[in-house]
Amino acid sequence: MLGRLLIKSLWREKARTALIVLSVATASTLVSAFLNIAFTVTEEMAGELRSFGANIVVVPKSEPLEIVIGGLRFVSPGESAYLEEADLPRLKAIFWRHNIAAFAPFLSRVVEVEGEQALLVGTWFDKDIRIPEGKRFFTFASGAQREAASETETFRTGLKSLSRWWQVEGEWPREDEDGALIGSGLARRLKVGIGGRIRIALEKRSAVLPVRGIARTGGVEEEQIFVHLKLAQDLFGLPGKAEKIQVSALVTPDNALAARASRVDPAKLPLEEYETWYCTPYLGSVIYQIEEAIPNAKGKAIRQVSEAEGAFLARMRLTFILVIAVAILAASLAVMATMVTAIFERRQEIGLMKALGANAKHLGLFFLLEAALTGIGGGIVGYFGGLALVPLLSVRTFSLGGFGLSLSLQAAILPITLLVAVSVALLGSFFPVKEAMRFEPVKTLRGI
Amino acid sequence: MIEPLILLKAVTKDYNGKVRALDQVSLEVYPGEWAAVMGASGSGKTTLLNMIAALDRPTSGSVRVDGEDLLFLTEEDRARFRREKVGLIFQQFYLIPYLTAVENVMLAQYFHSMADAREAAEALRRVGLGERMGHYPSELSGGEQQRVCMARALINQPKIILADEPTGNLDAENEKTVMEIFHDLHRRGHTLLFVTHDPQIGTQADKIVKLEHGRVLPAFPVKALRSI
Repeated sequence: MLGRLLIKSLWREKARTALIVLSVATASTLVSAFLNIAFTVTEEMAGELRSFGANIVVVPKSEPLEIVIGGLRFVSPGESAYLEEADLPRLKAIFWRHNIAAFAPFLSRVVEVEGEQALLVGTWFDKDIRIPEGKRFFTFASGAQREAASETETFRTGLKSLSRWWQVEGEWPREDEDGALIGSGLARRLKVGIGGRIRIALEKRSAVLPVRGIARTGGVEEEQIFVHLKLAQDLFGLPGKAEKIQVSALVTPDNALAARASRVDPAKLPLEEYETWYCTPYLGSVIYQIEEAIPNAKGKAIRQVSEAEGAFLARMRLTFILVIAVAILAASLAVMATMVTAIFERRQEIGLMKALGANAKHLGLFFLLEAALTGIGGGIVGYFGGLALVPLLSVRTFSLGGFGLSLSLQAAILPITLLVAVSVALLGSFFPVKEAMRFEPVKTLRGI
Repeated sequence: MIEPLILLKAVTKDYNGKVRALDQVSLEVYPGEWAAVMGASGSGKTTLLNMIAALDRPTSGSVRVDGEDLLFLTEEDRARFRREKVGLIFQQFYLIPYLTAVENVMLAQYFHSMADAREAAEALRRVGLGERMGHYPSELSGGEQQRVCMARALINQPKIILADEPTGNLDAENEKTVMEIFHDLHRRGHTLLFVTHDPQIGTQADKIVKLEHGRVLPAFPVKALRSI
């Protein structure tokens, strides 16, 4: 009976039902669109922000003593400790491996170039690495294990991915042939251009390299020379070694848990907190996992980049939350206004129901279910409205190339949108329905 | 000794402390009795019926129906009392316009316990509406609407039928049909209380209570009224 009553009541008041559906749909459209954009934008923006360089540097646990004078880095070879180049692919085998956007190893020495002293840096420019195969399990302190899907594909990374803001005239040197990328300042002093050759000497070893490209970076790199890592290792007599790795990782802004974990040894956190922290891509937890993966390595946060990124994304989320909150409030008020009128128009019907013996539970259930049904209708309309709005907003407002949210994420937004829509309808109906329960049947039947 | 089913003692009802709708009204109606409350417009008839139906509360005095003192019932208990003890019939019918005849009857069942379409259809057949149960109120005549209202009032088998000017909006033919149903109910032992200003309707009852300006006039023998 309740079902018939609801359907017939909603159908009879088509115009009013449509008005409530429209009000709820307006808020739901914004919720759906902004949730879609929030996921897309934060992912894409995080990616864009990652183009401003690494946010993690990985060094050996026993870091060599180094002195930097005028942008040149002097290291005592005897005191150096190194990372193994062969360990680098393990970065793509950590729990948050998909958040490792790019990385590159570095090995540098001051060398003599055409009579001048300059820092020669060996690195990967654009290298395909094979991700370690096999099943991996992540074991938590509780003993619980989470299996990571095995990966067999390769990953292309290096300085080119890590430093996307660099402007390179000519071309990036290739991994399989000798060649140098030279900083624009140093090229000017050496009076060397693309296609020219430079002679590099370190102690008794030397090499003559063609200049493939000239880099403008706006930083100290403009006074340095970059070659592929193998060449630097041979020249320095350090085969298979790297002195640091710069990593660009997609991370989530720190919260109270991340701050707490940074103050104490994360392993000493309560079990549940530890697992939450480990399974959230905070900068600290990603570093922790890198240290687990690479032996004798120590990760450090490059805070400036990470914090700027975190603050930007946090502000972005706050803006979305505020817009959604205002939309929900406005829609709730619109629903409330419609419901107040509807309840007033139906006061005789309510009076009759009470005269027939309906109690507060009967009336509350009837009117709130009616509101919930219109809420679901509004939510469904709003969900698809939001999907239609996203491409427009993402291109026009956020300058994103397109809408690339996965179907699974889109599907996850539907229940959230429906939940918000039903909440809006119920919130807007609550006070009018409460008022309806107080109607005196004697007065309402007389039409007073 | 048989207890009265409806017992009012010195019931007074004031509105805003200014208008006295009922003034020290006392009344007894026994099980199976048919009582008619008569009087001119504004005499307090409907107010009296509302007191007995637990739709309104007296300012003073007591209202006992089927052993329950209505003055002390909570709102929830008053709702329960209405759905279990009384069947209400109104002059304006008050049917839900978007429900069919049978659904209007089922609504009273739903509030009482559980809606049963078969039972509701049977109740409509008893009042001669077997062919009209799928019609909406707007598709029924006044007499048919009043009969739907009667079927709704009877569906939960209440102890008392309370009717407020049940034939007030009906033509002579429909009035006759409706009154026949009331006589049938009375014959089968239902307790009826009517509010009417029409002497022809009132005199069909066992007992007449005449109200004037909220006060009960001295008992008037029904037979004497019938002979007028």
